[in-house]
Parts: sequence; C-alpha cells; structure tokens
Amino acid sequence: MSGKGKRSAAVRAAAILTGTVLLAGAAGCAAASPPRATVAQVSNAGGRDTTTQARATATCNPTAASLRPAPGPPQVTPGSFMAKILARGYLIAGVSQSTYNFGYFNPLTGQTVGFDIDMIHAVAQAIFGNPDKVEFKGITDAQREPDVSNGTVDIVAETMTILCSRLKEVDFSSVYFEANTRVLVLKNSTATGLASLGGQKVCATGGSDSADIISSYPVTPRLVLVPVPQFTDCLVLLQQGQVAAVSTDDAILAGLHAQDPFTKVVGPLLAPQPYGLAISKQHPDFVRFVNAVLAQDEADGGWKASYVRWVGSPAPAPPTAQYAD
Amino acid sequence: MASGAALKTSGAAGVVGHAASAASRRFRVDVSTTPGRLRLLLLVLVLLSLAWGGLAAFTVNQYSSAASGVVAVQEPLSLDAQQIYRHLSDADNTAATAFLAGGLEPPAARQRYLTDIQAAGTEIENATAQGGATLGGAAKDLATLSQDLPIYAGEIETARADNRQGFPLGAAYLREASGLMRSTLLPAADDMYTTENASLNATSAQATGLPFVIVTFAVGLGFVIVLFLSSRWLGRRTHRVLNPGLLLAAAAAVIALAWLAVAYTGARGDLLAAQSRGSAPVETLARADIAALQAHADESLTLIDNGSDNGTYQAAYLRQQRALGPGPGTLLTLAETAAGGSQAAGGATAAVGDAQSWYAAHARLRTLDDNANHAAAVRSALGSYPGDAGAAFAKLSTDFGTGIAAGQTAFAASASAGADAFTGLEPGVIAAALLMAAGCAWGLSRRLAEYR
Repeated sequence: MSGKGKRSAAVRAAAILTGTVLLAGAAGCAAASPPRATVAQVSNAGGRDTTTQARATATCNPTAASLRPAPGPPQVTPGSFMAKILARGYLIAGVSQSTYNFGYFNPLTGQTVGFDIDMIHAVAQAIFGNPDKVEFKGITDAQREPDVSNGTVDIVAETMTILCSRLKEVDFSSVYFEANTRVLVLKNSTATGLASLGGQKVCATGGSDSADIISSYPVTPRLVLVPVPQFTDCLVLLQQGQVAAVSTDDAILAGLHAQDPFTKVVGPLLAPQPYGLAISKQHPDFVRFVNAVLAQDEADGGWKASYVRWVGSPAPAPPTAQYAD
Repeated sequence: MASGAALKTSGAAGVVGHAASAASRRFRVDVSTTPGRLRLLLLVLVLLSLAWGGLAAFTVNQYSSAASGVVAVQEPLSLDAQQIYRHLSDADNTAATAFLAGGLEPPAARQRYLTDIQAAGTEIENATAQGGATLGGAAKDLATLSQDLPIYAGEIETARADNRQGFPLGAAYLREASGLMRSTLLPAADDMYTTENASLNATSAQATGLPFVIVTFAVGLGFVIVLFLSSRWLGRRTHRVLNPGLLLAAAAAVIALAWLAVAYTGARGDLLAAQSRGSAPVETLARADIAALQAHADESLTLIDNGSDNGTYQAAYLRQQRALGPGPGTLLTLAETAAGGSQAAGGATAAVGDAQSWYAAHARLRTLDDNANHAAAVRSALGSYPGDAGAAFAKLSTDFGTGIAAGQTAFAASASAGADAFTGLEPGVIAAALLMAAGCAWGLSRRLAEYR
C-alpha cells in the first residue's frame, strides 16, 4: 500500500468524478466500496493501484483493521469462544477444495492441504495442542461471508481478500499473505493483460473480488465476465476454449498454471489482495487469539516453512502485522 | 348348355371363369328359372368365399405383423432405449463413486464404468440400426446421444488423468462431465425411452384391437348362414337333404373361423399378459432404478465436493428419495403395484425394503460427514459391510436388476407366444377360402347338371 497522501488524492478524484454518490457514504467504511461505475473512473484518474485505494478510505485501511492480540503466546481463556471450540472437540474451518497449493482436496491422499490449510492447523494446534482437530468444510467463494456470519464455520481460510466492504460483514485476522490480481491465458495467446482482452470472455468465481475487477475494468468493448463456482471450473473453460482468460489473484493463477503448463500468467499487477482469515464479528476474542497464533507462527518459522512448501522458495519476510487497536 | 358340360369336367378354377362368362351371356334372361337362380347362387357363394378369404388373410396379416413387430422391433427398441438410460446413469454414478475412492480408483468400479460406456455405445448403434434413426423424435435423441457420449467419456478421462496427478482440476472435469450427462445425455435417453415405449404400446394395441377381427368373423358367420339357407332352398327344390359340396364349404368355414377365434384370443391374452406382467413392471422398475442411481451419484458428488456445492447435490438426493418413496404415487410403490403377481414381484418388494435401509445408511453417513468425520462418511459410501451406505445401495441395485430381468423374461416369453399364435393361420384361411369356393362350385354345379 502506498501512503495516505496518495490514497486521499485518489479518493478526492473519485469524489470529484462521482459527486454525491461518494459523499453519501463518506462517513467511513460505508464509502469503502464506491459503486462499480466509479472504480473504472478512479483507475483512469489515478493509475493501477487506485482500485483498492478507492475501497480503502482514510478511515478504513483493510490491512490495519484487525484487533491487537494479548501479549505472549495464544491463550484459551475460560468463557471465550476458543473455550467453546475446545469443548466441542474440533475446529470448523471453511476452506476451498479446489485452490491448488492454497486449499485443495488431494485425491491421492484424501487430505485437504495447502498454505491456507496450514494456517488453520496452526490455530488448531494452539487450541487443542493437536493440529488435526479440524473439520474442513468445502465452501464456495460466494458462501464465505454468510457461512462465517451465521456460524456454520468458526473461521474461513480461503484466499480471502480483506476488503472494506467485507469488513462490514465479518472480521479478519491480520494479513497472512499478499497477492495481486493478474491474468492467466493459454501459452499461445498474444494477450498482455485485461487491457488487450476487450470484448472477450474472462472467467472468475461468482462473488469474488476478481469478478468485480473484471466487470468494471476500463476497456472498450467491455470484458464479458463468465462467473463459475470454483477457479478450477475456469481452467476447464480455458482449456475448452470457452473463455479467453482467467483473472484473479496471482496466488490462485500460479496453482492453475501448475495444473496446466500450457498456460501463462501475464499482465501488470492490477490490485493488491491482502489475505486474512475471516471470523464472525461476534467473536473479537477469537480474532485476537488467531492474530496471536499468526504472530507466533511467523516468529517461529512455521509461516516460512509453509510458504516454501506451497508457494515457492525463497520465502519473503512475512507481512508486517498492523492493528486498528 | 355348353357351359354346363364344361362345369362337369373341369375343376374349380374353370367353374369361376365359366360362371362369369355365363353370367354375361345368360343371367339376364334366365334369372326367373331354377337353373338361372342356381347359377346366380353359385356365383355369389364363390365370390363371397373368395372375398372372405381376402379379408381374413388381410386381417390375420395385420395382427400377426403387429404382434411380431412388438416382439422383433418395438420391444428391442424400447429395451435399447431403457438400457441406454440405465447404462448412462450407472456410468455417471460409477464414475463419481470411483472418484470418491481417490486417485487410484477400485479396478471393479473402473471396469463397471467401461462396461457401461461400451454397452451404451453398442445400444445406441443397435437402436440406430433397428430403425430408431428414422423414427422422428427418437432420431434427434439418438443423434444427441451419439454426439455427446464421446465428449462425456473424454471429460471423464481428463478428470481421471488430472486426478492421478493429485490435481483438484480432476474434480472440476468430473462436475463438468456429470453436468453434461444430466443436462443433455440423460434427458435425450429419457425422451427416446418415452417415445419408444409409447410406440411399443401403440403397436401392442394394434395387435390386440378388436374391429378387424369382428368384421372378419361376422362376414364368415354370414357366409355360413347363407350356406345354410342355400342348402335349405336347394333341398326344397331338388328333394335332396344333403349337398356334399356345400357341406364341405361349411366345414371349411367353421374350422377357419374357430382357428381364427382361438388364435386371436390366445394372442390377445398373451400380448396383454406381456404388457401387464412384463413391460409394465419393467418400465416402473427401470424408472425407480434410474432415480436410485442418480440419488447415489448425488451422494458421491456431495462427498467429493465436501460442501463446495452449497448443498445442491444433497438437495438433489432428497428430491430423488422423495420421488422413490415408498408412498402413494411414488416410483417404488408404482413398481410394486405393477409387479404384483408377476415374476418381477420379488425384486420390487425387496427394493421397497432395501431402499429404506439405504436411506437410513445415507442419513448416518450425512451425520458423520456433518460432524467432522468426512473420512468415515466416505468409508461408509464405499463400504461393503452391513450398515454401510455402499452395501445398502448395492443391495437395492441388485433388487432392481433381478426384478427387471424377471420382467423382461416374462415379457419375451408371453410376447413370442402371442406372435406364434398366428403361425400358419394366414395360409390356413386362404386354403379354407379356396375350399369353400370349390365346395360351393362343386355342390351347385352337380345340381345344375341335373337340369340339362
């Protein structure tokens, strides 16, 4: 993320362009997601990073919206939500079954594995002293917020970008991974990014931030969004020639590329996608607990080991945790 | 009386020709005399015999070709359509279940899938060769089936290749393939089955319908009455009680009518039995079997997606369970009713009980899966121990197979018996008609000769 000055400049540009629409919601996070039409204009006005910046107003910084953990190692305090989970005997985590290397069901082993899954195992280890006390529930991208809010799952680890619009519905942990939106095409494609795909079909999961970026991308003629339940469905469509490209986080695209080497990831970084673990707003104690787990995991090298195993080597420094309080 | 002399020496064929030429030359003047009336009667009886022969031969031909059409064309086509549907559903179900087992699918499941696909391919070819390709709606369905089956099989193989590398892309291809199966292939097979079944029932109705046989029978009886009246008139005129020619004609007519009545009644009974104890139980059992196969595929797909489907497959399972029953108007109850008293009854009754055991095992499986025990749920779905959902479904599937096979055997036996009932009847009625004509001509020409 760039500094506050640039961000507020972008917001001012958006305000000038969109007038009353933005003024109506200028009170804070409500203004985080200006109506879709404005995103394109903001992008035109302010360059490639402004889409996310426009979401993050001065009063809503998605990367610093989480709650500060209590000092020291994570503690299951009596009466807390963690104590309830402990009594139940297992943690319920909403995950992807199909995001290669982040959260996927490995048909050879029958296990759900990946970078996101490692984060959940760390949380289970902190609660139970056993990383395997977890029930993984496969959920679609569109189900992530509702399933956290209505308590179907305790926590979601599913390449989920912290957005101001989502912060109104659910709480997030601190940032545990930094992705950025890019584009996947077939190896023989001449496309160099969304800008050269005007009028063509581009795939993303319904309900994802990537779908919003595709449908609002400023190119003439407009991109045709093809929404599907899971990103592997996008790769099926790409292989069958039914879409020209898949656009989403580079972390997910790398997983698709790994399953089909006749694809390539192209184009500029379109929008930073900071990932957080989603937790119900009912359980701030659990948010602080999970942040303590992440801090410990990053400190003791667990995060780095997971990164090397699932994403690539060498691992960069983990994202610096920032908290709202 | 040159023609009278000819009548005495030549055979029945000569009689007809001469009678006709005599009619043109003489009847105009002689119809008031006894020989004139005799000639007229001879002409009428011979023509009536031959006309009845034509009518009876036509009728018998209609019934016997409809009956053999049921056995040789319609039933195989309908059976092919039903088998295509069953094999496709079973392939969809088996592919999903094999997937659930992981990267190295059980060899038996792989074999069963391949057998299903090959059988469906052969049946599509057979149905096309049998003439299904020229039968309107069925032609469109067959075209859809033969175009999309290779695409489906290709997607399954892609899914399998990806699965073997541990890629989640395999599950996406499985979903894609299953979607194609459910949105295109199964509806086409269903439509073809419905069309062929309607056509089978129509042909069967043609082979058992009444109008033609009643007309033929009435005309035949009319002939016998005319013979009786003629011989009474002759007796009064000539003072001879019995005319052997007319007696022969009457005997031939009575025997032909009796044969026709017995053959028709027998064939009708057999064909109706084939329908009520054969094709009706088979149809209802096949419908229930297909619903169960789809529900089982839904059970597997729910576990494969492990929640990613937002419950759509489990909702589909419950829909099929409701459609299956048992209960008023449900598939299982319809099958049990239709199979009642037939050889398929055992399979149908067992299916009702075993379906409920499967529902119970499925409910236990869902409870396991919903309570953090996905692995145990998968073990139950694939398991072969009593109480496992896999074992319960296998039992149900066997019940359907047994019932359908028994129904098909019953159908084939009854329908061929029905078609066989008409064997020899067509030449039989033609021979009888010729005998009737010859008898009349012979009997009356002997009387005519006395007037020379």
